[in-house]
Amino acid sequence: MSADLESILRPVDNPMPPFPAKHVTIASGEEMVIRQVTRDEIPDILPHVAPLIYVERDFYDVVAARVYSELLSYYRYRIQDAYVLVAQIDGELCAVVNGRMATPEVGMSLHTLAMRRGLRIGAHAFAAKMEYHMDIMGQQEVLIVAESPIGFRRWMIEYNLEKRFDVPHELGGVPSWALTKELFDRARATLVVGRRPVPEELLEKAHAAILPPSDPPTPPEDLLAATRSQYDSTGTALILQRWRQEGKV
Amino acid sequence: MAREIYAYKCRKCGHTHYPYRMVCKSCGENEHNEFDQVPLPKRGKLLTWTRAYSLPADFEVPSLGLAIVELENGIRMTGQLRVDDPRMGMDVRGEVEIVRREGYDERYGMVFYEA
Amino acid sequence: MRSVYVIGIGITSFTRLEYPLSEIAAYPAMMAMKDAGRKEIDHLYVANMGSGRVNHQTGLASAVVDTLSLTPAGAEAIENGPASGASAIKTGYMAVASGVHDVVMVTGAERMREVNNLEATEFVATLTHPLAEYIYGVTLPSLAAMFTRLYMEKYGVTERHLAMVAVKNQNNALKNEFAHLQQEISIEGILDSPEAMTNNPYVAEPLRFFDCCPVSDGGACVILASEEVARKVERPLVRLAGVGQATDTHAVHEREEPTDLLAVRRAAAKSFEMAGLAPSDVDVAELHDAFTILEIVESEEVGFFPKGEGHLALERGETAIGGTLPINPSGGLKGRGHPVGATGIAQAHEIVHQLRGDAGERQVKDAKVGFTCNFGGFGNNVVCLTFVRGN
Repeated sequence: MSADLESILRPVDNPMPPFPAKHVTIASGEEMVIRQVTRDEIPDILPHVAPLIYVERDFYDVVAARVYSELLSYYRYRIQDAYVLVAQIDGELCAVVNGRMATPEVGMSLHTLAMRRGLRIGAHAFAAKMEYHMDIMGQQEVLIVAESPIGFRRWMIEYNLEKRFDVPHELGGVPSWALTKELFDRARATLVVGRRPVPEELLEKAHAAILPPSDPPTPPEDLLAATRSQYDSTGTALILQRWRQEGKV
Repeated sequence: MAREIYAYKCRKCGHTHYPYRMVCKSCGENEHNEFDQVPLPKRGKLLTWTRAYSLPADFEVPSLGLAIVELENGIRMTGQLRVDDPRMGMDVRGEVEIVRREGYDERYGMVFYEA
Repeated sequence: MRSVYVIGIGITSFTRLEYPLSEIAAYPAMMAMKDAGRKEIDHLYVANMGSGRVNHQTGLASAVVDTLSLTPAGAEAIENGPASGASAIKTGYMAVASGVHDVVMVTGAERMREVNNLEATEFVATLTHPLAEYIYGVTLPSLAAMFTRLYMEKYGVTERHLAMVAVKNQNNALKNEFAHLQQEISIEGILDSPEAMTNNPYVAEPLRFFDCCPVSDGGACVILASEEVARKVERPLVRLAGVGQATDTHAVHEREEPTDLLAVRRAAAKSFEMAGLAPSDVDVAELHDAFTILEIVESEEVGFFPKGEGHLALERGETAIGGTLPINPSGGLKGRGHPVGATGIAQAHEIVHQLRGDAGERQVKDAKVGFTCNFGGFGNNVVCLTFVRGN
């Protein structure tokens, strides 16, 4: 590929203030660090996103496939003004969240992918993303959509988001919802939590390595059972089953 | 027209029930429907309350106030609560309003406000 | 009446299960038959609450009996809301005690995760009074929350006590491989840290996320038999010595004393009376902690502690494994999970393990008498069971 053509294809990022790392105590009492990752770290994250593409429950498949493509696009310079935050406990990758600065005033929330469940880690990661757009970038609103009913309930209903149905969201072109500055300020007590600066030792551990999630969501163990249950709405179990028979996975 | 929610007063012993039951809880001897309908009072004291955040799927609001109120005549009832800063024992007044929409059906019930 | 014994037990993982409801009921039944070392079953009771509504399947008992190839044995489904499990055991007890059947299988199953959690909440809310509660958006957590507020005011129970129950039970569940929640939690994380409000938000004030049991799929089974059969089974004898059931008003606001759970008190008293035992005889109990407050209140109403002092016993550590009266060593509904139809049987499953002395890391030392309380509706239909080791 000629260098000239690449310079046309490669977007030029606008300046964005970095997200200052913070730490929170999660329900287990463990300390979780939320920090921005650089392009160089993306290859360390991708292998932990890929397996989730085959988990159909709660739309993990759709979200993971999209996150994978967004991370890869970020790594290979095919998405503009994007950022990626990760949540880590003792280095272990617990959540990935990402978004884009669509305009200086409007943020585009992309995804929240939690890899450890039951401890509200996704809620913390999502909140950090909103804090980034509002308090750190100083934007007026963030456009949000949800793939899963859980996400819809949590964000659209809990925060009473405003409808921006005339704006197709970048994810699937579906109608957008907006977290405005006013709504954000009202929910500040739960959205903006965590402490800064992160103690040196915690931060060092987080930067040292992105370790694999210890208990990520997995596809059903008995794949045949999944198809028998007539609950295989996406066909994922069938595809995986075929691959397994063919020795591909 | 003011809407009412009814309690059911036993024609034999006078015991008043809310909600409706077919046999009197007090004297236990009534035949079917041997009750007089009496409108529930619209004033009472807040016995206990909650603000619920995890709602059935058809409620598209972030949260919902719910309460058990002891009405003036001593009968207790459950209803929705629209009070900013509820306190147990506070005086409340009720209005009969639409409390739920199920498809095209509208359900009326008691909504309590600060008295 | 004849004596009735538990000769076999089985359980599935309580989590999200990706196979059909009839198999969730059948798998623990197969384990129980293996446990008992016999396949001859006279009759089958299936405990379930939501197959018709949640899974679009009715006539579940016929499906399960055929899945297990136990035909032509008789089979019925028993529905009593979240107390379906213990109700089915009680029915099985009557069938054996009366002499109608010698060996009765009681299996319970629920597959609630087939729908999302909003629909699951809605499904459980349908057991509230249709006109006086349901239409307002009343859910089980909101009834429990209103009850909790009264209890806090009257008896000095605090959010810290509730969090202590949550931590105790969820961390007990770490010792139970079949339990739904396998995440350790701490008081620091859910109550004291600056982030606790986000970690542990209100579900219905004053109840928080970690005060509520998870929505689970799962199945559990016990096989009941007469003494003659039980003596041939190579398992420690566990006798179902007492069954008690009581009901209360459908609408919660109609209860005479709003901080009492009379149905629990009465069901427990009947169960103890039948067993010829007292609450003080109990070594281990499984109580229906769908909400943390319920463990505290039930521990009082069944007679373990004086009314209003359950939270003090909790503070003293009496209800922990290793305490004087361990409650919910399995993790309870809070930690093990709450597939509504299976819960009552899962409670019995745990007690049988404890009385047999094979409960592993969570074994209560030298447990001789076990007790379960299965709570249907918001305390409007309660079934209590008393089990004893040996005869």
